[in-house]
Amino acid sequence: MAAERTNVSNDLIWQLTRNQNAYLVRRNAGGGSQLSRDPLNLVNKHSFKYAGYTNNKAIGVHGNEEGGVTVITKKPGSSQQPAKAEVKVNYGPKTATRKIYKGVADLTAKNGYRADLREEAVARVSAIRRSQKPKKETPAPKLRGAKARKAEQEE
Amino acid sequence: MASRPTVSIATAEGKASGATQPLPTVFNAPIRSDIVQQVHAGMAKNKRQPYAVSEKAGEQTSAESWGTGRAVARIPRVSGGGTHRAGQAAFGNQCRSGRMFAPTKVWRKWHQKINVNQKRFATASALAASSVPALLFARGHRVAKVPEVPLVVESKTFSGAALTKTKAAVALLQAVGAGDELVKVSKSRKMRAGKGKLRNRRFRQRRGPLVVYNPETDGKELVRAFRNIPGVETSSVFALNLLQLAPGGHLGRFIVWTSSAFEALDQVYGTTTTPSALKKDYLLPSNLVANADLARLINSSEIQSVVRAPKGEARTKRAHVQKKNPLRNKQVLLRLNPYAAAYSKQKIGQQGVDGGKPVRASEHFHKTLNED
Repeated sequence: MAAERTNVSNDLIWQLTRNQNAYLVRRNAGGGSQLSRDPLNLVNKHSFKYAGYTNNKAIGVHGNEEGGVTVITKKPGSSQQPAKAEVKVNYGPKTATRKIYKGVADLTAKNGYRADLREEAVARVSAIRRSQKPKKETPAPKLRGAKARKAEQEE
Repeated sequence: MASRPTVSIATAEGKASGATQPLPTVFNAPIRSDIVQQVHAGMAKNKRQPYAVSEKAGEQTSAESWGTGRAVARIPRVSGGGTHRAGQAAFGNQCRSGRMFAPTKVWRKWHQKINVNQKRFATASALAASSVPALLFARGHRVAKVPEVPLVVESKTFSGAALTKTKAAVALLQAVGAGDELVKVSKSRKMRAGKGKLRNRRFRQRRGPLVVYNPETDGKELVRAFRNIPGVETSSVFALNLLQLAPGGHLGRFIVWTSSAFEALDQVYGTTTTPSALKKDYLLPSNLVANADLARLINSSEIQSVVRAPKGEARTKRAHVQKKNPLRNKQVLLRLNPYAAAYSKQKIGQQGVDGGKPVRASEHFHKTLNED
């Protein structure tokens, strides 16, 4: 963006949109919390650092339908071409979680791409993987006293 | 500017046609949301129709005050008898069925004068913002599949009444990646809250893409093709309106340009140095800074070479986090009073004042003291 257009920059976009934008969720709860629905926001927080649409390098981590993890990054060079700008990396449900951590950490911190987001990206992978674990069913309650005797008789 | 950025022109199928067009200078206009908001607020007011309550409302009785002495308030009261209305207070804004406070008048100042230069600045600003994908996303447009912003479609698709059917128009928008946007708009249709429902504003919905065409080459048939698609609006390049370019005063409307309309922009707005062909003596506003990228400016060698080196380490030890009592804490005492080390080492505090007994004052002293 900055290379092509001299009147636009990430800082300017943030200043134009920080008070009002389509992703911003403002609630009175939590002392006037400001959250973000941006798919490229790793912590869902409304701030310049985490805003995906303002920064020309940003990372999004999402669970995918197969039960794996999808990592989206933005290509800094093609900011004027939205269709080309996003790069998706899919990890299947059987990929080891630590492998995904490694992949995400390398993607963010190597080659000078947003090293400041490495920890948050890995944390988000971890949270998604935890949420994808099958839920343990609670065991049937053990009957005691009169109910237990009644159940025994019925058998 | 070393090389002027170009914009590739898409075919009706959404592919690159191979042709490109240099970016018109309007898109380099300064993006000023404050000006856009102010002008938008004024322009939105200029479509209003006057309304007011009836001149006579609440004033249609012959009420008069009863004066003092009857142990009721001195407000005018309806005269006569035989109905409940008689003796009730009237006229006052605090009275039931009285006149309202400060009745609205049809001669309220409904319209705003906006300076032409400000209007043009706002339009140029809104156009510049419409070429920034980040601002389109921030406005809520679904443009993730659009090949390029600004989106320019060959005029061949429209000229000579080539596009007259809405079906073809929808197909075109879907081909250029605006399908998600159309879905978003049609899903957003909601019944309006309140009385507006009865006043021909029954539904509210999001705004979709704005199709900008050049009536001289594209013709006007495309207006009919597009007009029944929810959320889609059309506009001629020669009559761009801020209310469409920045709805609600929010920058970043998604615009689909026909290539001849896109070409015409330089003619309509001129550049910062050559006046516009259509607006008399109009020059586009220029940017106050040549580079808007703050981070790059700060990290540039020109700035860094004159900035003094940072004080301290990257992580400085935080001093004075908690106040410590120097009388109890030896280290804090030493920091404040370096002499304290020698003082305690030499045990000066424990020594008495070793001057021996005080010497009696001399005879001469007493004489002087008692002298008259």
